[in-house]
Amino acid sequence: MNRPGIKTALLRHETVLLVVVVLEWFCFNAMGPSFGSLDNTFDLLRHSVGIGLLALAMTPVILTGGIDLSVGSLLGLCAVLFGKFWRDAGLPIPLAAAVTLVCGAAAGGLNAVLIARWRLPALIVTLGTFSLFRGLAEALTHGVDTFTNFPAAFLFLGQEHWLGMPAQAPIFLLIAAGVWLLVHRTTLGRSFRAIGYAPEGARYAGLPVSRRLALVYVLAGIIAAIAAIIYTARLGQAKADAGTGYELLAITAVVLGGTSIFGGSGTVHGTLLGTAAIAILNNGLVHARQPREVAGMLTGLLLILALAGASLPKVLAQRWPRRQNAPH
Amino acid sequence: MADLLRLISVTKSFGAVRALRNVSFDLQPGEVHALLGENGAGKSTLIKIITGAHQPDGGILEIHRTRVRHLTPAVARKLGIACIYQQPALFPDLTVAENIALRLEAASVWHRVRWAPRQAQAQALLQRIGAAISPAAEIRSLSMPEQQLVEIACAVGAGARVVIMDEPTASLTQPEQRRLFTLVRTLRARGVGIIYISHRLEEIFALADRVTVLRDGESLHTCALADTNEAALIHLMVGREVSQIYPAAAGPAGRPRLELRELACAAAGVHGINLTVHAGEILGLAGLVGAGRTELARVLFGITPADSGEIRLDGERIRISSPQEATAFGIAYVPEDRRRHGIILEMPIAHNMTLAIHRQIFRGMWLRLGAERRFALDCIQTLGIKAASPSAPGSSLSGGNQQKVSLARWLATRPKLLILDEPTQGVDVGAKSEIHKLIRQLAGEGLAVLMISSDLPEILGMSDRIAVMRGGTLAALLPGHAAANTVMTAALGAKENT
Repeated sequence: MNRPGIKTALLRHETVLLVVVVLEWFCFNAMGPSFGSLDNTFDLLRHSVGIGLLALAMTPVILTGGIDLSVGSLLGLCAVLFGKFWRDAGLPIPLAAAVTLVCGAAAGGLNAVLIARWRLPALIVTLGTFSLFRGLAEALTHGVDTFTNFPAAFLFLGQEHWLGMPAQAPIFLLIAAGVWLLVHRTTLGRSFRAIGYAPEGARYAGLPVSRRLALVYVLAGIIAAIAAIIYTARLGQAKADAGTGYELLAITAVVLGGTSIFGGSGTVHGTLLGTAAIAILNNGLVHARQPREVAGMLTGLLLILALAGASLPKVLAQRWPRRQNAPH
Repeated sequence: MADLLRLISVTKSFGAVRALRNVSFDLQPGEVHALLGENGAGKSTLIKIITGAHQPDGGILEIHRTRVRHLTPAVARKLGIACIYQQPALFPDLTVAENIALRLEAASVWHRVRWAPRQAQAQALLQRIGAAISPAAEIRSLSMPEQQLVEIACAVGAGARVVIMDEPTASLTQPEQRRLFTLVRTLRARGVGIIYISHRLEEIFALADRVTVLRDGESLHTCALADTNEAALIHLMVGREVSQIYPAAAGPAGRPRLELRELACAAAGVHGINLTVHAGEILGLAGLVGAGRTELARVLFGITPADSGEIRLDGERIRISSPQEATAFGIAYVPEDRRRHGIILEMPIAHNMTLAIHRQIFRGMWLRLGAERRFALDCIQTLGIKAASPSAPGSSLSGGNQQKVSLARWLATRPKLLILDEPTQGVDVGAKSEIHKLIRQLAGEGLAVLMISSDLPEILGMSDRIAVMRGGTLAALLPGHAAANTVMTAALGAKENT
């Protein structure tokens, strides 16, 4: 009896979000011709890959009931490291990228040790590494150094087309598919949910809770490193302030996508829709010649409305029977 | 008659489910009125209507002979109705006096806190109910029974005329139970009406004046306890004779399965454990709450690993340092706290059942949802679990069925040793005897069962041998046909003279 109820509720959240995304699209399209053009669509895609990747990294973390505030700073640190490996250490681009991924994994590993092994609260740990990673990035560049003049073959990844779409889009889709399978089709994803719902219950079920927790943070580090490389390729430069504020947008996208901030329930496709809703809103407002502040305000409003909308049926269900009873 | 409370033909539905049908009930001053019924019979709904948490769909509710139409929890409190739940709802970080004050003092922004009268009031109330608790103690530092006493003090302080007690003895030891009973009798003597809910019939016979039996949302029968007996009440509750309450032992036990030598764990507070459990044997682990039984189980399951001593499983010496390792060795633990540890409430039943056998049922790490669903349906059928579907969340089940899901999860691991911690606590009579039959059947198949229970009849009825724990170590090892007195004497550490 419960099944259709829960299913429709979940469906409802994601369908509502889909409707919002489509509505946004049509609204901005009606406001001016430049928004709906193919050029702008591609531009929008390129811009949303960074936040989209971080949101994908964040989804398993939040499913376990955790949070990772350090991913935006890690994006900055990895971008700087990548530039250093290439320009200062003279590594070829593929090798520099590979070493950067290892660094991303190690940075995620630091979070993992503190959270999974030492059992420190994720919010505090990643608040610390949020400052630590950004600080390291600034120290490495003395706050001014910028890495530019990357070879054209590398910039292709961020600025050219491949398979009829922006070159970074296939990579993003591949990673999205990977995370989707991980969360929805593997025993790992199942344990993330179990841990998110009831960490003690998961332990009593014999699940390797620490190892699973470690995995989500290391994975977040690796994906943040990938995001850093793609980000660098798009802008053609790597700076210490890359990805500032991205962690909050990523969390917004995940929560907007219907994932519970308390852990346990949520979907990867919801996260993708959440990312789309934010990306279209931001890009559309630029095309509608609205100041940037409006984008921030509207993103916030959208998040609050989505959360309120999701819990409205519950609130009504609690209120309604009382009102019905009142005239007795 | 000066009814404290009267319900006439009360009806309540939740969607299509009729939770209560024409239920009538009354409570007199100075009586203990027991409310009896299987899980899901409508006891909780009835209580929620009396405390104002739910509004009835139909029928009449009278409090102090006045018809009440829109009862809210606040109005119920004002009318002198207090409910003491199984899990005391106190603020753990505040002191006893502060908790009592929070219940009794009127709240307002400019309310001035007078610490000395607060302390004195708490002291006076605790004294009135004969509780030796310091008003300055933090709730966190109190045991469960002590917290219950604080709840009772609140009820007395609020001048409650109707006190509802929901399974108050579920986690109490026998001396604590006796103290509670004395307190209940004191309240009764003062003219308070008490609605007493319990699954333990002997308690009801010891304490109550009248009993009302609920079944499937209907009040079947109200009578004085002097006019009835246990068999009649069980018959009314389940609607059938429960002839054989405990299944008979199958045969002689097999080889030693689990051997413990001088096992100790400082963190768990257990030491000097020497014990052998044989294949095919049910070893009952008796003792008072706090004697170290659950703690021993947690050592064996790797939650608090042993510091010293030996654990042998099938003759082989093993070290268990985590629940994963314990599971891999073939040790299964069905924990006491179902809702926190036994199952994950928000997860579907099927997912709960496969949580400990991911490796076995899912090849590699890919989920096979079809196979999982079939497995769950299979378990639901063989264990007779009453569930809407395998994808219904664990929270949708009654206590007994949640326990069966927890059991199903661990039986699926095909364990060598099954540790059951209070397997039938809070489970209704029908489901209880089903679980007992199942345990006996599993032992018959060669499983070694270590069964922790605070329910003495259960220990005596089910065990092939009985180990009694006291103060973190084994106090006695008794044959299965030991007398209740012998077990209690060992558990209490008293000299046998009664």
